[in-house]
Amino acid sequence: MDFANLAAQLNAGTILPEGIVIITLLTVLLGDLIAGRAASRWTPYFAIGGLLSAIVALYFQWNNPTPNGFLGGFNADDLSIVFRGIVALSASVTLLLSVRYVEQSGTPLGEFIVILLTATLGGMFLSGADELVMVFVSLETLSIASYLLTGYMKRDPRSNEAALKYLLIGAASSAIFLYGVSLLYGLSGGETRLSQITTNLLANNANESIGVVIALVFVIAGIAFKIAAVPFHQWTPDVYEGSPTPVVAFLSVGSKAAGFALAIRLLVNAFPMVSEQWHFVMTALALLSMVLGNVVALAQGSMKRMLAYSSIGQAGFVMIGLIIGTDAGYASMVFYLMVYLFMNLGGFACVILFTLRTGTDEITEYSGLYQKDPLLTLCLSICLLSLGGIPPLAGFFGKIYLFWAGWQAGAYWLVLIGLLTSVVSIYYYIRVVKMMVVKEPEEMSEAVKNYPAISWTAFGMRPLQVGLIVCLVATSLAGILSNPLFNLANNSVTGTPLLQSSVIQPARPVMLQSSKTLDEASVLEAHL
Amino acid sequence: MMQLQYFLIVAAALFCIGIYGLVTSRNAIRVLMSIELLLNSVNLNLMAFSNFLDPQGIRGQVFTVFVITIAAAEAAVGLAIVLSIYRNRDTVDMEQFNLLKW
Amino acid sequence: MNLADGVQIVSFVVLAAMMLGGALGVVLLDNIVYSAFLLGFVFISMSGMYILLNAAFVAAAQVLIYVGAVNVLILFGIMLVNKRQDFAPVPKAWLGKAATGLVCVGLFVLLGAMVLATPWSLSTLTPIGDGALVAIGKHFFTDFLLPFELASVLLLMAMIGAIVLARRDFLPGELAEPDETVLTLPERPRELVSSKK
Repeated sequence: MDFANLAAQLNAGTILPEGIVIITLLTVLLGDLIAGRAASRWTPYFAIGGLLSAIVALYFQWNNPTPNGFLGGFNADDLSIVFRGIVALSASVTLLLSVRYVEQSGTPLGEFIVILLTATLGGMFLSGADELVMVFVSLETLSIASYLLTGYMKRDPRSNEAALKYLLIGAASSAIFLYGVSLLYGLSGGETRLSQITTNLLANNANESIGVVIALVFVIAGIAFKIAAVPFHQWTPDVYEGSPTPVVAFLSVGSKAAGFALAIRLLVNAFPMVSEQWHFVMTALALLSMVLGNVVALAQGSMKRMLAYSSIGQAGFVMIGLIIGTDAGYASMVFYLMVYLFMNLGGFACVILFTLRTGTDEITEYSGLYQKDPLLTLCLSICLLSLGGIPPLAGFFGKIYLFWAGWQAGAYWLVLIGLLTSVVSIYYYIRVVKMMVVKEPEEMSEAVKNYPAISWTAFGMRPLQVGLIVCLVATSLAGILSNPLFNLANNSVTGTPLLQSSVIQPARPVMLQSSKTLDEASVLEAHL
Repeated sequence: MMQLQYFLIVAAALFCIGIYGLVTSRNAIRVLMSIELLLNSVNLNLMAFSNFLDPQGIRGQVFTVFVITIAAAEAAVGLAIVLSIYRNRDTVDMEQFNLLKW
Repeated sequence: MNLADGVQIVSFVVLAAMMLGGALGVVLLDNIVYSAFLLGFVFISMSGMYILLNAAFVAAAQVLIYVGAVNVLILFGIMLVNKRQDFAPVPKAWLGKAATGLVCVGLFVLLGAMVLATPWSLSTLTPIGDGALVAIGKHFFTDFLLPFELASVLLLMAMIGAIVLARRDFLPGELAEPDETVLTLPERPRELVSSKK
């Protein structure tokens, strides 16, 4: 195999966006090394520019006729493009939010950006990884970068403790995931490409064996850790409370989106013959996440912890789309994640701003904020109400679409529990809004009484303001003008061959087995 | 004649010992060591499959090299985190790390 | 059974016994330094296993990286946090340990049953043996090129991050007036908030 031939086979253009991120990362690293602290004037903006140009490069890859790159190692289909876009966008908004926060804590900004960009890179590669080794390496890139970011405030015992817990639980779960992956490699007779594994499993008659089920359980443990589904969520509240808030914003959106991309690709691609089992397990995880996440959030006193539990609940809603596995299901999942990106990051932007001005994140300290800072109050209220699903904000349409898709597919219980728990969630979101808006001036908290004069001139405050406004505008407009996002989500699903073959997948293995289920399958097909 | 199953059973035993150490250890460094045991059991699995099922392609050996690389990176990061928590808290006892509790 | 098979079986049994014994020592011994040395023992027996599996290159890599780097790193870590302290005993700790032990034995039985019940599709090809080094190199530059390159970014980032976290900072003004707020989260710890009320 000569070099020119190999270069053509690699089809390296598929990772152009990631290449841009890597070049940005190295430039930031070298610039920071050469110019020292003075470099922090331009590095964040340069990094944001790099991420945005990566998103532009993603746009030009849409509907790529030859999505397979690196001899099957990477798959740049439309679904991966959407998820890579979500990860990159969440990282660029996170960078906007983190400049002031990192500066105020006195930690070096250059290294923070480098590690955050590496985490983004891991997330982007994970969204398109189509091969077990690639899945593992990109998953670990994302995870190790997240551990480092969590422990970045190294003089703070809470940050250390969060990092240690995250590292130990994360490394253990990735080792368990890896054990499942090694079984998959063995059961398929030495195959590592996801798309080939199923074929090989069927050829080896291993499709009915208990080994596949054990591999499935171990793999789901690893995925559920990444998307923080109950009962693999224990790390979430601790890590969210102890990490720097911009990192939490990234973990709750970017890292979670990458986890969902992995879930779709791995479960749909490699486990179609145990699809009943994985649907059952994922349904249980989704129900538990929705109920526990939203109910425990009621009792939280710290804003960051409340958002942590709320993000567990939100992950439960998104899992509905994965479980029903129809076109509408996947599309609603993508749509909800896009909307969730803006509303959750907007919420975190407000929490960061309030913390920077007052030095606390207790919910009770927000009382009476309306009198002192109307913009912050407006933005936080809109983002929280959108997370709760109040019309006409973006979150409402996201939830409606998810629940509608679930109802269409006959997942009545999931949808009913989802509706009930989102009513519960509205209660705790409204509690914060009420605290900020309704209180009389004399009920103002200490923190709000001593609220500093609003000024956006300090270093790093402008990007924070820009991030806040972007999220506010996107959250309020994405609801009314949701059509472009909606079309994007739909096109990404219909343009992905993997999902198109999986949508009718339940019918195919069944046909081989019995004629009774064949009727059901044909009914299902007629229904579709 | 050596059989695939022997190696797999030894790997499974090592995996279970690793899980036991992970859950019961109170010293943070011992937890890191248990994670290394888990990764080693995965490696043994991969190498056994590579030798018996994929003897010409040896993708399992390549996978193992990646796992070794990343395990080393993870150990370095883990010890850096243990070191920074030790500086602030003066202990590595997992039971003492309870600033963050629900 | 010819001589070669006999040697293989015997060395397998010895290596397995060394490895499992060492691993039990790692998790059960009280002294953490003994555990660390036993961990090196486990790694070395593991590389013996790899030689039995016709993988000389990975066996060498195992010794070089696990024993030479990871184990030494762990020993350094132990020395750096070397504080003689007896952990305060937790009441009913044995109960938790016994329950965990039972679960682990159960898991082992499950995995063992799975290993024995599964019809592994054994290949009839001869192992590549010493050609493995060339084959691994080819894999790294063809179908595993992308993870190979990504691993380089991962290692660079892990190095930078580990240095940032483990380095002792001498902050400007630290000697004159220790400033508590530097390098910490801007949020006040919750204890302070509640005690103020």
